[in-house]
Amino acid sequence: MPGIVEKIAESIGLIPKLHRGEDGLPRLQEGSALQNYPPPERWNDWTEYEAKAWPRREKRTYDIVPTTCFNCESACGLLAYVDKETGQVRKFEGNPYHPGSRGRNCAKGPDTINQMTDPDRILYPLRRVGKRGEGKWERVSWEEALDDIAGRIRKALQEKRHNEVVYHVGRPGHEGYMDRVLQGWGVDGHNSHTNICSSGARFGYAIWHGHDRPSPDHAHARVILLISAHLESGHYFNPHAQRIIEGKMNGAKLVVMDPRLSNTASLADYWMPTYPGSEAAVLLAMAKIIIDEGLYNRDYLENWVNWQQWLEAAYPGEPVVFEKFIEKMQEVYADYTPEFAEKESGVKASIIREVAIEIGKAGTRFATHNWRSAGSGNLGGWAVARCLHFLNVLTGSVGTEGGTSPNDWNKFKPKFFDQPPAQKFWNELHFPREYPLAFFEMSFLLPHFLKEKRGRLDTYFTRVFNPVWTYPDGFMWIEALKDEEAIGCHVALTPTWSETAYFADYVLPMGHASERHDLNTYETHAGVWIAFRQPVLREVARRRGQNPRFTYEVNPGEVWEEDEFWIQLSWRIDPDGTLGVRKHFESPYRPGECVTVDEYYQYIFDHTPGLPETAAKEGLSPLEYMRKYGAFLVEKSAYLKNEEPLNEAQLAGSTTDPKTGVIYKNGKAIGVVVKGRACVGFPTPSRKQEFFSQTMIDWKWPEYALPTYIKSHIHPENIDYSKGEFPLLPTFRLPVLIHSRSGNAKWLYEIANRNPIWMHPSDAERLGVRTGSLVRVNTDIGYFVDKVWVTEGVKPGVLVCSHHLGRWRRPQDAPGNRWATATVQIDEDGQGGYRMRQLRGITPFRSADKDSARIYWSDGGVHQNITFPVHPDPISGMHCWHQKVRVEKAHPEDQYGDIFVDTNKSMEVYRQWLAMTRPAPGPNNLRRPLWMKRALRPVDEAFYFPAET
Amino acid sequence: MLIWSKSKLPVMKYGFIIDNRKCIGCHACTTACKSEHDVPLGVFRTWVKQVEKGTFPNTRRLFSVLRCNHCTDAPCVEICPVEALYTRPDGIVDFDKQRCIGCKSCMQACPYDALYIDPDTRTAAKCNYCAHRVDVGLEPACVVVCPEHAIISGDMDDPASEISVTLARHQTTVRKPEKSTKPNLFYIDGDEFSLSPMAAEIPEGNLWSAQARGVGHYARYTERLAWSGEDVVQELLEKSTVTEVPTNGELGPTRNIEVLTGQHGRRVYGIPDKGIMWGWEVPAYVTTKAIASGAYLLGLALFLSQAERNWSLFYASLGISLVFLLLTTALLVKDLDQPKRFLYVILRPQWRSWLVRGGYALTLFGGIATLQLAAGWLGWSEVAEGLTLPGVFLALIVAIYTAFLFAQARGRDFWQSPMLPVHMLVHSAVGGAAALAMLEAFGALSLGGVPAQVLALGLLANILVVGIELVMPHPTTDAKAVVKMILHGRYRRAFWAALGLGNIVPWIGLFWHGAEPAVVVAAALLALWGIYRLEKIWVEGPQRIPLA
Repeated sequence: MPGIVEKIAESIGLIPKLHRGEDGLPRLQEGSALQNYPPPERWNDWTEYEAKAWPRREKRTYDIVPTTCFNCESACGLLAYVDKETGQVRKFEGNPYHPGSRGRNCAKGPDTINQMTDPDRILYPLRRVGKRGEGKWERVSWEEALDDIAGRIRKALQEKRHNEVVYHVGRPGHEGYMDRVLQGWGVDGHNSHTNICSSGARFGYAIWHGHDRPSPDHAHARVILLISAHLESGHYFNPHAQRIIEGKMNGAKLVVMDPRLSNTASLADYWMPTYPGSEAAVLLAMAKIIIDEGLYNRDYLENWVNWQQWLEAAYPGEPVVFEKFIEKMQEVYADYTPEFAEKESGVKASIIREVAIEIGKAGTRFATHNWRSAGSGNLGGWAVARCLHFLNVLTGSVGTEGGTSPNDWNKFKPKFFDQPPAQKFWNELHFPREYPLAFFEMSFLLPHFLKEKRGRLDTYFTRVFNPVWTYPDGFMWIEALKDEEAIGCHVALTPTWSETAYFADYVLPMGHASERHDLNTYETHAGVWIAFRQPVLREVARRRGQNPRFTYEVNPGEVWEEDEFWIQLSWRIDPDGTLGVRKHFESPYRPGECVTVDEYYQYIFDHTPGLPETAAKEGLSPLEYMRKYGAFLVEKSAYLKNEEPLNEAQLAGSTTDPKTGVIYKNGKAIGVVVKGRACVGFPTPSRKQEFFSQTMIDWKWPEYALPTYIKSHIHPENIDYSKGEFPLLPTFRLPVLIHSRSGNAKWLYEIANRNPIWMHPSDAERLGVRTGSLVRVNTDIGYFVDKVWVTEGVKPGVLVCSHHLGRWRRPQDAPGNRWATATVQIDEDGQGGYRMRQLRGITPFRSADKDSARIYWSDGGVHQNITFPVHPDPISGMHCWHQKVRVEKAHPEDQYGDIFVDTNKSMEVYRQWLAMTRPAPGPNNLRRPLWMKRALRPVDEAFYFPAET
Repeated sequence: MLIWSKSKLPVMKYGFIIDNRKCIGCHACTTACKSEHDVPLGVFRTWVKQVEKGTFPNTRRLFSVLRCNHCTDAPCVEICPVEALYTRPDGIVDFDKQRCIGCKSCMQACPYDALYIDPDTRTAAKCNYCAHRVDVGLEPACVVVCPEHAIISGDMDDPASEISVTLARHQTTVRKPEKSTKPNLFYIDGDEFSLSPMAAEIPEGNLWSAQARGVGHYARYTERLAWSGEDVVQELLEKSTVTEVPTNGELGPTRNIEVLTGQHGRRVYGIPDKGIMWGWEVPAYVTTKAIASGAYLLGLALFLSQAERNWSLFYASLGISLVFLLLTTALLVKDLDQPKRFLYVILRPQWRSWLVRGGYALTLFGGIATLQLAAGWLGWSEVAEGLTLPGVFLALIVAIYTAFLFAQARGRDFWQSPMLPVHMLVHSAVGGAAALAMLEAFGALSLGGVPAQVLALGLLANILVVGIELVMPHPTTDAKAVVKMILHGRYRRAFWAALGLGNIVPWIGLFWHGAEPAVVVAAALLALWGIYRLEKIWVEGPQRIPLA
């Protein structure tokens, strides 16, 4: 209360009166207890005090609308607080009803508001003026853009140029949506970023059991082994980090393999700083210990591994008994002693032994994960996931509580209102014959293929996708994108400017988390859930009785969303239905009319098990339920789905191979008899875990028939330290950034804005550099100049540098992501040489956001990926990110951020790696094993080369 | 403003636990807080300090969420002159930007670096436990967002609350318990390397970020850069980066922990340096205040000591005193980030603050001196003389109150010196003597050379006091680091120049040629310059010690 002096002074007007009576709001409950979220019954009308005005009790009333985050791939739940008065989103909090994120978020969730209000965001559809890449744009209407693009595609389809229509996606986050659209068009036009991301590990998992991702049940594990950094990044950072710590607090031991001290490694009970590429050797040594010590799960091995197949193939004439299997495994892995692993990895044999025993004791409660990391860094990196999963198989922890499930068990498969037939085409730009086993499209070789004139693209969509910056060999991408012969029309669908969008013909603004529809479902834990991303302002309009026709009517500017864009585009591709496209976009509820986005989701939610019943209990339709809560838990927990029995209908007309127990129907394996029961098993030829892979033999890689250690291209044998050579790890992410999606988030960039090269003190001493010194890092095709950060947190002899920073724009480009981008000049010598120099660092600027004038950092980091050549793994097709580099002190003419690349050398390195392949056809003139997954799977006939080939 | 009252609520005490077993250093709390409060770039209400320790492969990166500790004995509340910072009945230390005058003394008082100047409002701000959420029954934004539930909030007076149960069952630690602030934020697995700001080496820049321009109070210079277009104005850049990150060499025993553990730690993430909050205006006002009080004290002492009253001395000393008092006030106002609110110090007083007490002393002293002047002019000599007693009392307070204000600035160990009041008094003597000595040297007064003698004595005392302050054993690392900075570090030259040219040289001059008017004038000017320079070092140096 004011004192006497103040009272008098206020009453005679010397100073303003600050003491006004204000009505208070009631607390959510009596006493001092606090709740984490307003109760959902008040989400239509929630009043709280505005923090900015505090301690004045200024009340603000909100519509609270759930959606999901659009930053990393986890799709964590968010609640948008939409101010009823201004109609603007005030903030984002977590959604407590989201089963994956459970109301909690990482730093990127709340930052969605930055991305919405970024003064540099693209608000209207733009079309290039002048030459591609010249930086001149004009605003167009959505109508114009749709008509023009649809016309191109229609023409291509009419002329049977189906393979020239391509959709290239970064991280999709829209469950099944585009597969349906592309198959609706009948094109083999799906290209993804997966082969620069996760294909390595995917292949390693798939060769075991058909499923290509792990879904560890961290919360219930006794040992958690990560070849990843899931306490700070990755699929699925926040949901996984929650459960890893939960497991740890319940007594689980955390083991982390990483040559650098990641935040995750820092919290580990055992940090195993393996030499990059040696992980598989360590894992096999641990496998050997588990086998030798008899710590394996006999029941599981005996019943769920195809050991009989191996013994028969490899040791004909010998008895096919389990003891023989163990004996032969001991023989095969005899050389993988902990001492050998120590020699390869630098991790002490005693620690390897200790961890192996811990794993053996954990038994079925052993959770593991390898996503990118070693799997994506090394030649043969796929063998890391394969050897890691070997440990799960040995301990019988596949699909158990506290173990590691296949991802598909924890991921929901939505039912669509219309499922177009598989396409009849096979796009060799995506799945070329050299890479029959490539787990996803060879997307990072696209510019090289185009340069070799293996094909051309008529209409090329890049969707929230920035290969110029994120991919290796970015200058090759710039060359390809500028080539109007090779790419007829480049349409960039993106919420924000990117290095790739600068080279587009159309830049079409797409919404962020709160501005778009998507269905999400991810294997974050041992349950199955769906979440609904929705344009929150549209939902608010709906609550007010309005019914906007399209999302761009409510979003900032004319920012749209892809779901509606694709429907409208498809409709215009085939207005009269003659191409057979239109029928896949007709409403299931209003025959002959164009489907709406609401109808699309209504159908899915109506057909989601359990959702209609749950919604009905609240008197809601399934769609209304999802609009209100934003998420639904389909299955609480899902374990051991391989043991699910086949029902009679499934078994009807099937035959069982008496020897292997595999159940066939219509020529395809559908299950397996185990312990006398017909079970679903795993989607492999043997329907079991394939310790022994006939596929590898059939496809010309017999040396890899069993889980094996493959020496990396950066194995110490290939590194000459006396010449300043090092392995460079460029793969790791930071907890606050996400590739090139976060450049428009000021609160994230102020925390992380540069990416120095980590170097151990002993290496720094040898090179005569210290923290802050400039070094030139020479790759096989060029170099970059960056600062050194000397630290004890990295393995001696290994350099690491995060790829998350070093965003740029050229002076002629539209101002974009100015929180993050340095201004650079790119000079071409006309002979394939490119030189990039920073003209200016990050500089404060004037805008509607006062903060833009207060940018207090100038260092935006260095773009290292653009100096990397492509390294396609001959088997998995994964780009092997790790680089052998030569480090030297910066030359006198060098400046921070300098980059040089010779694209002639890019092509040279590409050809060297291409020469390592063992191309298709495989058995029966196949392009690819029929049993293996393929993105946007075409009809089976397309898997065979045409007869004349 | 405060609509709740104590009677309505049961006893409550909100606090925080940060559980470092679970914290993954993701910065979610940081951005959730930024979002909830729309905190401007460059300043933070909560952040995650990161420190690396050990040698490969036995090394760790430690994460520590740092923020306001909602101290039971909050130094920021005690020093705040206008009750802009206050402790609520539920234990939350909250603030009111409408009251804040931007004096930045809270930033000197807080030992935890929790406060900043908001460049939007130009007032102080910090974590307020999301009081606006608590008052509707919601947890703070950082608690809700945390993926690991590593931040626990709640009422520590409720024995059944999660925070009470957790506190009861775990070993916890707080930051700087020796500051006797009674923090209400507790760490499980708190680590000395992180919690003690001087334990880990502070490199130039963080691992993932580097500061190039000023923030908070200094954001205006950065903003000018944005308004000036593309040109990088070097002058502005320099101005906005007034702070230099202290490095090892300068601070001496920055790795005091190393001795204990044999380990080596390094900070790899910290928030941007906020700069020197009390710049040249503060030493300048200390100097003008010394002249104002000294001229009064010495002048009236001489005036009253002579049976034959020297009224020109009376007018001269009061005149000098009032002129410098005005200057003092002007400097005080100038230093405020909200100068228009300067009257709040007097009109919205928080009586425990020495800024208020000093402000009242200055005001009353000015009033008495003015009355005396008026009485003298009107010929009411008894009144004029009679007011001397309260005048002297107030002048003494004016002379030394800054020492108490600095002592209230509990974040700055070096200012906690018991010698500081003496130091201020001696400066007052030097200031007053220098002013009167110059008047005498110019022939305006005839005082038998007494001011020059007092000046000489004052300088000698000053050398002695400064010597004691530096040589006296200092109990804390922070204070020792300042001494090292003064004697051997960045202030080495400035200090010896101030001591030599500003004290020793004028003293020698007065000792040998004290009767020479030119020497007296030179000595007096050098002495005043010396006071200012020494005060500048004394004020600025401790502000370079990192608090978090």
